[in-house]
Amino acid sequence: MCLAIPMQVVELRGGSDELLDPQVAMVESDGVRKEIRLEMVDRVPEVGDYVIIHAGFAIRSLSEEEAEINLKLMRQMAEALEKEGRLPGAPE
Amino acid sequence: MGHQITIHPVTRIEGHARIDLHLDEAGQVSDAQVAISALRGFEQFVIGRPAEEIPRIVTRICGICPWMHHLAAVKAVDGCFGVQPSVSGHLLRELCQILAHIHDKILHFFFLAAPDFVLDPQADLSVRNIMGLVRQEPELAGRVVRMRQLAQQMLARFAGKAIHPVAAVVSGFSCAMQEDVRQSLLADARELLDFACYAMDFAKKQAFERLTGEFDGLGSITTGFMGTVDGQGRLRLYEGQLRLMEPGGAYEDFQACDYQQYLAEHVEPWSSAKMVYAKSWGEGFSLNPEQPKGIYRVNTLARLNVCDAMATPRAQQELEEFRSRFGRPVQTTLLYHWARLVELVYACERSIELLEEQDIINPQVRNVAEPGAGRGIGHVEAPRGTLIHEYATDEQGCITHANLIVGTTHNIAPMNLSVQQAAASLISNGQVDEGILNKVEMAVRAYDP
Repeated sequence: MCLAIPMQVVELRGGSDELLDPQVAMVESDGVRKEIRLEMVDRVPEVGDYVIIHAGFAIRSLSEEEAEINLKLMRQMAEALEKEGRLPGAPE
Repeated sequence: MGHQITIHPVTRIEGHARIDLHLDEAGQVSDAQVAISALRGFEQFVIGRPAEEIPRIVTRICGICPWMHHLAAVKAVDGCFGVQPSVSGHLLRELCQILAHIHDKILHFFFLAAPDFVLDPQADLSVRNIMGLVRQEPELAGRVVRMRQLAQQMLARFAGKAIHPVAAVVSGFSCAMQEDVRQSLLADARELLDFACYAMDFAKKQAFERLTGEFDGLGSITTGFMGTVDGQGRLRLYEGQLRLMEPGGAYEDFQACDYQQYLAEHVEPWSSAKMVYAKSWGEGFSLNPEQPKGIYRVNTLARLNVCDAMATPRAQQELEEFRSRFGRPVQTTLLYHWARLVELVYACERSIELLEEQDIINPQVRNVAEPGAGRGIGHVEAPRGTLIHEYATDEQGCITHANLIVGTTHNIAPMNLSVQQAAASLISNGQVDEGILNKVEMAVRAYDP
């Protein structure tokens, strides 16, 4: 299954024209930074919000509180696997 | 010595796929692999949890297609508790799924795939994206931008927040639809259908010729296919029986609850993702490009291939035109894109049909359900293929066993074959440039952007 890891918006850029200069977001997770397009997002995020990204497009914006719930579930899932000596995504 | 070329991240598939091409000493492609990073922990993670929580938890983890997982999970839990959804609950669930499909198809076709074949695949990456499309086709881009959120807004109007769906509940749906909402949704659904027909006309004039012209044969392989059909053999996305078609076109139909008699799972040592193959063909599993075994495809082209007809009139016309040009089954990988727009037309027509059902506003949106022991299998056709959730519960209604087969899982083996085929046909004497690598990626993007 595809894992939807929320990434935090650290900066918003552009936005002078909806078609020719659309707003983009810089996002960060675990030190990885990248630019994400916002044309498909359900709500334009603010700096500090989290987004779920599909193929370079933000598809959903999450408040920090919402994102924390998701990240906590994913951490619990990773811990459950580590206890069994396997990491998420590791071949069986 | 030979060497390896890694395409990573795959431009618009970043984050969850990587292509490795292995070249031998003569610079010919000796092997090619598509690695999909997959998560295998969910099935263990849910053990012991109350089953009715699963449809809500799964959307927080599989957040790319939350509605598909939400609905497949809730159907499976219905099965565990031995209940059926009420009439309006059933219709409302299907409407959610259809609207989510519409949103996904607009994203996939226009934002992720169209830049490849409306623009020049040799063009620089900075041009070969949606902005390049905006400059070249401003009228189309304007409509896409206006439509891009309509399906999501429609969902929010009757199903609450779309971020993490919670609207489907065991035995039905959480809240009834009001008549004024139904009327406003109907108007929007008609606008979506109008856009889908415009998009189809545009693609036939501007894009599809290249799929069968200069890109013809890219990533083409010969496989079987699987999809969902109703009792009359018509394509369905939300409910029906599974149809597994052999490469030659013969097929058998079965209920999703019997999937283990027809399908089996396989793990290759180099990939973390499990692959699925057609066990019922009795030939085992092989990724050998000369003689692949047990391999079938899912997702848009597969669904179009296995069905006898479309259930709505405009989509049926499109199927007839498609079939008269390309036959059945169609093996040309890039025709997944054409099939995707046929499904977009169906989904828009189906949303209107559902909203025209008087029963959709019936206030009895769910039946009575009590947690208990049982086994349930729920399946839907997700944008990336057949999605199956299977659960078993104990007397308290807590999960004792879980197994998921997600859409991409079925297609990982064929994606590998398509990439091998594309790379071998495009690369010789070690000559590789960005245009060639992008064409190799196009073989993957047809299935899963």
